[in-house]
Amino acid sequence: MNNIVVGLGEIKISNNSDDVLVAYGLGSCLGIAMYDPVIHLAGMLHAVLPTCDPNIANSDACVKYVCCGIDVMLQQIIGKGAIRNRIVVRMAGGANMLASSSFSDIMNIGQRNIESAHMKLNEMKFKITGEEVGGNIGRTVRFYVTEGRMAIRMMGGKERDV
Amino acid sequence: MQDPYKNPQFHEQLRPLLEVMAGAGIEGAVKGLSQMTGQIITVTEPSVTLINLNEISKLLGGPENEAVGVYLRAEGQMSGQIMLIFPYERALKLVDLLIDVPDGTTQHLGSYERSALAEVGNLTGTFFLNSIASMLGLEARPTPPAVMVDMVGAILDVIIATSAGVSEQVLMIRATFLQGDREAEASFWVIPDPRVLEAFIASEYTIKDSSHKA
Repeated sequence: MNNIVVGLGEIKISNNSDDVLVAYGLGSCLGIAMYDPVIHLAGMLHAVLPTCDPNIANSDACVKYVCCGIDVMLQQIIGKGAIRNRIVVRMAGGANMLASSSFSDIMNIGQRNIESAHMKLNEMKFKITGEEVGGNIGRTVRFYVTEGRMAIRMMGGKERDV
Repeated sequence: MQDPYKNPQFHEQLRPLLEVMAGAGIEGAVKGLSQMTGQIITVTEPSVTLINLNEISKLLGGPENEAVGVYLRAEGQMSGQIMLIFPYERALKLVDLLIDVPDGTTQHLGSYERSALAEVGNLTGTFFLNSIASMLGLEARPTPPAVMVDMVGAILDVIIATSAGVSEQVLMIRATFLQGDREAEASFWVIPDPRVLEAFIASEYTIKDSSHKA
């Protein structure tokens, strides 16, 4: 198994059967995967922020925003041969790390990331076939390219499928 | 808003000032810790560095490493965020140091141990802010701290998500607290609100307390 790390504000694409796309330690960040199961092509986005500033839509920094990142990821996997109406979407993350504190209401970026992703994917008419989002615990997210499955692991826990 | 760390005036003017302030702030924090524990605690010369957001987790053993984060905000004229992060094993050692038991005694962070760490954050953050605010003649009000025990990446998302919209860098102050022959290294992440930094640069703040020189 070849781990391909998807860092903050990055997108990684693979159709290599040995590859696993990994986003480590997602707190409020979201790991969003798009997958064409016919050609086994996967993309994963590690999104940080919910809103998309139109002024930076064409810059590399755009990818750290949920909505721009989804647009760019879709362009990239279609560019590599994915067919739009075959693409399935899964996502994980968006935790509120400060849930038990007095900050929780004003700083729930995780929840805003989730809402932004839902709104964006709904607009694009993509169905989310699996998600493990929210809560207040961090997750490592893995996408196994050959099997087309997403799995998460929390601190001290075992890996389980989304 | 533009990234204040890319402003050349930050590097020429404000950064040397911040290094002096960091020293004073950490001295203040150590006084608070010593009072809390009733022990003599000292600190090594703190280092102040600008770190890229995507480099932080490497300094803490990687984003999946287990850690403890103590987070608070400062409100008022000097607004911003402070995060103390300890790798999990070091947090256990720090608890041993704080409650004056042999190294290796604390094996688990239950509510008592987390309260002790929250108090470390509260005291160090408050004394740190008050030292700097006093030097600059400003007002700062720290909030109560939140304690997180989780993967490094998840903890850091709290500051990355609020900083990443403006700057790709944050200030890191690294210091080692010493008590007798025991030591516990801590990383202090100080994230001034970019607006506050810009105001500092624009106003060419000078240090009010003449015993500290930039």
